[in-house]
Amino acid sequence: MTKPGAEFGEMHWLMDVLQSIDVGLVILDRDYKIQLWNSFMENHSGLCPDDVHDKPLFESFSDIPETWFRQKAEPVFELKTRTFTIWEQRPYLFKFKNSRPITGRSSTMYQNSSIMPLESIDGSVNHICLIIYDVTDIAVNQKDLTNANGHLAYLSQIDNLTELLNREFWEKEFKREHKRCIRTSSPCSLVMFDIDNFKAINNKHGHQAGDEVIRTLASIVRQTARETDVCGRYSGEEFSILLVDTDATAATNFTERLRKKVASMVVNIEAHEIQFTISAGIAEYSKKFEKPAIWLEASEKALTHAKNNGRNKTTVYQSKE
Amino acid sequence: MGAYAMTMSLTEDQRDCYQEITNVAMGQAADRLARLLNVYVILPIPKVNMISASELHMALAGTTVSDNVSAVCQGFIGSGIAGEALLVFNDASFSDLAQLMNYKGPLDRHGELELLMDVSSVLIGACIHGIGEQIEVSFNQCHPVVLGQHCHVDDLVKSGNHQWSQTLAIEIHYEIEDVNISCDLLLLFTEDSVAKINQQIDYLLD
Repeated sequence: MTKPGAEFGEMHWLMDVLQSIDVGLVILDRDYKIQLWNSFMENHSGLCPDDVHDKPLFESFSDIPETWFRQKAEPVFELKTRTFTIWEQRPYLFKFKNSRPITGRSSTMYQNSSIMPLESIDGSVNHICLIIYDVTDIAVNQKDLTNANGHLAYLSQIDNLTELLNREFWEKEFKREHKRCIRTSSPCSLVMFDIDNFKAINNKHGHQAGDEVIRTLASIVRQTARETDVCGRYSGEEFSILLVDTDATAATNFTERLRKKVASMVVNIEAHEIQFTISAGIAEYSKKFEKPAIWLEASEKALTHAKNNGRNKTTVYQSKE
Repeated sequence: MGAYAMTMSLTEDQRDCYQEITNVAMGQAADRLARLLNVYVILPIPKVNMISASELHMALAGTTVSDNVSAVCQGFIGSGIAGEALLVFNDASFSDLAQLMNYKGPLDRHGELELLMDVSSVLIGACIHGIGEQIEVSFNQCHPVVLGQHCHVDDLVKSGNHQWSQTLAIEIHYEIEDVNISCDLLLLFTEDSVAKINQQIDYLLD
């Protein structure tokens, strides 16, 4: 049996807990006027209950978009159902400062909120309770994770030295483009090219100079290519470019422009002046290239032809028929 | 597995009872959805099954015809009964949903998230409440979590490392008359909850 007065004591405790709990509690009436306000709300907003009592929520907090909030709260009144908002929808309802103002990495507090119906004795809902949760740490960590994953995805696609696509990812794109070519009639050309006598450059000037040559070439490729072109480092000194919506003639113009730029270029590395050239093979997509590998082989053949015919040249693949 | 499945299987009476309870609850939920959207909601027959962890993926995959879905998940607990509600939306539903909800903003990822949250609050809340009312349990609803947007249905729930081997699954497919909106509500109860609900149900059956 509870002793007389114990019930009152428990109520008192409960009130104490509600006051000091680390969660924001706000009671609103049918006109969205603030009726109750616990100390979490008071401390974070700097407004004591008397400042806000019976004032419309949207008047005291102009940051809360009225239409948006009503859309979440009306079903609570009308349907007697609880509704929820998460920080991904809006980072916060009340613009409070981060509860860790020194070491926290966000200036504002991220909030989840829940709106709950409060039934009157007659069963109607004339008041709602707005509960505010501080989820700053969860939100910041989640954002970090998303960024890290994005960065990892980027790293897994990019070649370190040249910052062009790495072979694995380029091949994926190439396969996808091959599929697209089968479906559509728009032309697409594949250019494979490599640095002439790259071994000799490495032997004469050292591997660091070789790397610098590759880096320089990659930056020329980036300058010459359009945004839609898919440029990759295929292997050591071999590069591959997919020219979307480009036939063999236009691809030849592109490649010749690239080849001439490279040939007229001087790379200065530790007092060495290095000049180099590239040879290129072009293959425009044709129905005969049933598989990506056949298309690739065609451009490799054209590249070998350019190599065998004196280097610093562009050759377009021509089918034998 | 065999012996275990035996202990966890449902009798025909129990299954009927689950179906009946769900019918009432989802009727209430549909009524609220209808009032929220001002439409007529077609009521289906719920499917009640004990499923294994591997079958959950199949159950999810079976919920949708298209590959791209968005989903919200919400835990609930009360009187020793615990579970999760999953609401899976076919991504094609959003444009019609935006119209019904009178949503004025741009229907981008963020706009769709708003709609997803608004509808799931009402639908899940009503359904959980309806079931709780009938088995005389007042459930606490945890905060909802977005499982994914525009993702493949297989990626909604990460497989492996599940702490459970079987779950009681109630599948409800909602459709709305004359518009291209369909969504699936999956109510999943933990293994240890099933015994407790069965007790309640047996009590109701008597």
